[in-house]
Amino acid sequence: MPERSQERPGSLVESHKGYDPRLILFYFGVATLLLTLAGGLTYQQLLKTDTYHAKERIQNQRRVLTPGPRGNIYDRNGNLLVGNRPRFAVTLNLDELRPEFRPEFLKIRMAYRKTDDVNLPTSSELEQIARFTVVQRYLDQINRSLGRSEELDGQTLTRHFRQQLLLPYVLVDDLHPEEYARLIEQLPVASPLQVYTSTTRHYPYGSAAAHTLGFVGTVSIEDSLPEGLPGEELKTFAMKGTAGRDGLELRFDDRLQGETGGTIYRVDNAGYRVNPPLHKRLPVQGNNLVTSLDIDLQRAVEASMATLELPGAAVALDIATGEVLVLASKPDFNLSDTAPRISSAKYKEIDEAGGWYNRAVKGTYAPGSTFKIVTAMAGLRDGTIDPEAKVNCQGALKIGRRQFPCHDGHAHGEVNLAEAVEKSCNVYFYEMGVRMGPDAIAAEARRFRFDRPTGIELPFETKGMLVPDPAWKRRITAQKGLPPDQRAIEERWFEGNTANYAIGQGYLLVTPLQMACFTASFARGETETLPTLIHQPDRPRQATSPLGIPPAQYQAILEGMEKCVLTGTAKILSSPTLRIPDLRIAGKTGTAQVSTPKGTINLAWFIGFVPVEKPEIAIAVMIEGDTPGEELGGGRYAGPVAHSIIKAWWDKKKAAAQRTLTVSK
Amino acid sequence: MPHRRLHPGRPFLVLGLVLGAWLVVPTIVKRFLRISFFELQAPVSLSASYVRDLQDYWSLRTRSTNELIAAGRDLVRLNASYEATLQQSESLRQQVTRLEALLRLPAVGGYRSEVARVARRDFNGWWQRLTVRKGRNYGITVGSPVIFSGGIVGKVAEVNATLSVIDLISSPGVRIAATLDGDTRPLSYQGGENPAFGPAVGIAEYVPTDASASPTSPKRLVTSGLGGVFPPGLTIGEIVRLETSTDGLFKTGEVRLDPRLTELNEVTILVPLSPN
Repeated sequence: MPERSQERPGSLVESHKGYDPRLILFYFGVATLLLTLAGGLTYQQLLKTDTYHAKERIQNQRRVLTPGPRGNIYDRNGNLLVGNRPRFAVTLNLDELRPEFRPEFLKIRMAYRKTDDVNLPTSSELEQIARFTVVQRYLDQINRSLGRSEELDGQTLTRHFRQQLLLPYVLVDDLHPEEYARLIEQLPVASPLQVYTSTTRHYPYGSAAAHTLGFVGTVSIEDSLPEGLPGEELKTFAMKGTAGRDGLELRFDDRLQGETGGTIYRVDNAGYRVNPPLHKRLPVQGNNLVTSLDIDLQRAVEASMATLELPGAAVALDIATGEVLVLASKPDFNLSDTAPRISSAKYKEIDEAGGWYNRAVKGTYAPGSTFKIVTAMAGLRDGTIDPEAKVNCQGALKIGRRQFPCHDGHAHGEVNLAEAVEKSCNVYFYEMGVRMGPDAIAAEARRFRFDRPTGIELPFETKGMLVPDPAWKRRITAQKGLPPDQRAIEERWFEGNTANYAIGQGYLLVTPLQMACFTASFARGETETLPTLIHQPDRPRQATSPLGIPPAQYQAILEGMEKCVLTGTAKILSSPTLRIPDLRIAGKTGTAQVSTPKGTINLAWFIGFVPVEKPEIAIAVMIEGDTPGEELGGGRYAGPVAHSIIKAWWDKKKAAAQRTLTVSK
Repeated sequence: MPHRRLHPGRPFLVLGLVLGAWLVVPTIVKRFLRISFFELQAPVSLSASYVRDLQDYWSLRTRSTNELIAAGRDLVRLNASYEATLQQSESLRQQVTRLEALLRLPAVGGYRSEVARVARRDFNGWWQRLTVRKGRNYGITVGSPVIFSGGIVGKVAEVNATLSVIDLISSPGVRIAATLDGDTRPLSYQGGENPAFGPAVGIAEYVPTDASASPTSPKRLVTSGLGGVFPPGLTIGEIVRLETSTDGLFKTGEVRLDPRLTELNEVTILVPLSPN
């Protein structure tokens, strides 16, 4: 029973003593509230820790991604074809300038107010002016040190400040080594100004093998991040990376691509970085690529082609393995112009000159008389051609109602197979072609893989090669949707078509690379050669179907090809200036006429291999005339280009033999 | 009169007032106070240094005559070798002058040397510094290179009336444009994070990838002269280890510095004749 309150007379204070059951309710209420608070605290602090931690991370941490350098590309002898070179730049860490921005802002605002200018800039504009002023001061310092007169771009600065505050802002790019040396000594270590090193592609040989090596372009690296790179959920600032755009750079982009590195920083409420970083993973260089190219041969042939100042292509293969030693196309471009990025003016200039077009693998051309080897093979295999049987060449052959001339308009008289190859007698092959028919020629061409891409490791190899036959002509005529009578005329395959086909003209289209593969196959005594641009020192010899002709017949063609170089259409290679002593060369020239909108132009061809007795390299050269009506003989134009490859190869071979001899002594 | 009791909160109030006043004091006053403090402190450092010299003098007085004779003999030999080097340097200097005149080249910017005695050493994990007994009174300027017989010591970081403070090359805040001895490609040298009582090391960065070095076959690192602060060809240290960087473009390595750096008594300050 609670005591009643006792009041002294006249007192204003009421006092209570003892236990009051009504207080239980109060205790209960307080306990409930405390429990609710404790529960809430437990819920927030323990159960929702991960959620808040994640929110805190997203709010307070930023990730900066740095691309890994690409791998190098080498030739078969270990010469660096494509590498990386350092690119030094002076950068300014804008986030470290915050203590300077505010005083500058106040100073500028005060200066404006003193002028009583009614058009006082807004606070945001004043901030921009303050930033610009501070950064300009640092740029002036650099200009004084380097003797340069670089200027600041206000828009770029503002954009960088808003979008990429944590990334270094480039003040001066591409410093010379002397400039970088001066700055690293003169700039304080703790300065917001730093010498930043990035990488860019480096091409020691300039334009050599430009189409084969390809080039790179700038890309975002955020789409191809390595596994396990932390901070996926964080706001990320990424520097630009590179990706292959053409050639081997594109085809082997996955292998060459470096591994992106990342750094996670804590930032304050204004987004400024708080050092040191919480996590750092260094970028890793991509894998290297060893190509089958021989840069000495490549440069030799490109120099030779450059003297002609005509479009063209040249390919050289290792006969045993199919490894590509040379893959050249003119006109070309200087790879150094593409790094770190190509200007639109330069791009347009190369485009207008046709420099982007890789004629060796994308261009399709009539092979001309070089195709006569295929026709000879077809005739020998189906029994139409007897190597010793002679055909009387009187300078032309009438087929139907039309005269088909021999290649130089002169009568060769009685010629057998070897002589026909040596002199490139059209009449012999007209005769044999008509006798064996187009299907036999087409079948032989298909046996040598002229009807499909070679599968070389280059992007955009053409599929436009064509091995025609009567069925093909019917098919394409049907697709035109012509009236029946006109269709009946157009779809007919005439003997004249076969005659043209037999000498590599007409509808037939091949690439220079295909011709090189065919030459290598023929030299090896087989039907297929799969070219590759990747070098493997222990790559086995290719083994495909044999040619399917007796050795004597093979020797007849070989004899014709060797005589072609000694006394025939390619005799320029045996002239005193070009003759290579002690080296037997087998070759075949070709000159094809092609109708273009400008008129008929000539294509000069040469295919061949060396040495005859034990073939090691096969060559195909095509030079494209640029003036309608101009005579472009295969021997005179393509022969010297082929000679440059053979000479370079032979010199290297002799030098290697000499070295071996010296070591063994 | 009863002793008046100090209110316990009063010292904190005073401290707060002083701190508050310090915050509103203009920067120029603060700077003046700081410089004044250093200048007032300088005589103490100088006196201590002179006392140490006196102490060394009396300790040397205790040496035996034989020791002094041996030291004198060594000194004569050293002087003879220096004399020969001096003559060779004079001959080279004349040749350089003749070539400059012949090729009409501008004269190489020269330095005036100022030998200074070390007054104080200040080594810790963040910086390594020497204080020497010469300052503005000898025309020494901030940034002047400092050398000794073993190569580079560092560069002048602060100059006062009678004293100068030198940042040693072992300090992380010192960076030099260097080259490998016999090479012309520039690379970067920076002081490392050195313990207070350990062998001093630095870091070489941007070393060409074709360079190699090991503790048994170290590579000498010299100044390049490209930075405009240090003359070319002065020894920085020896690269004892090199590793290829992750980007494969350069190598990064450890530079072993001359152990005598921590016990120098005298250094030479090269004061540029024509200030940059």
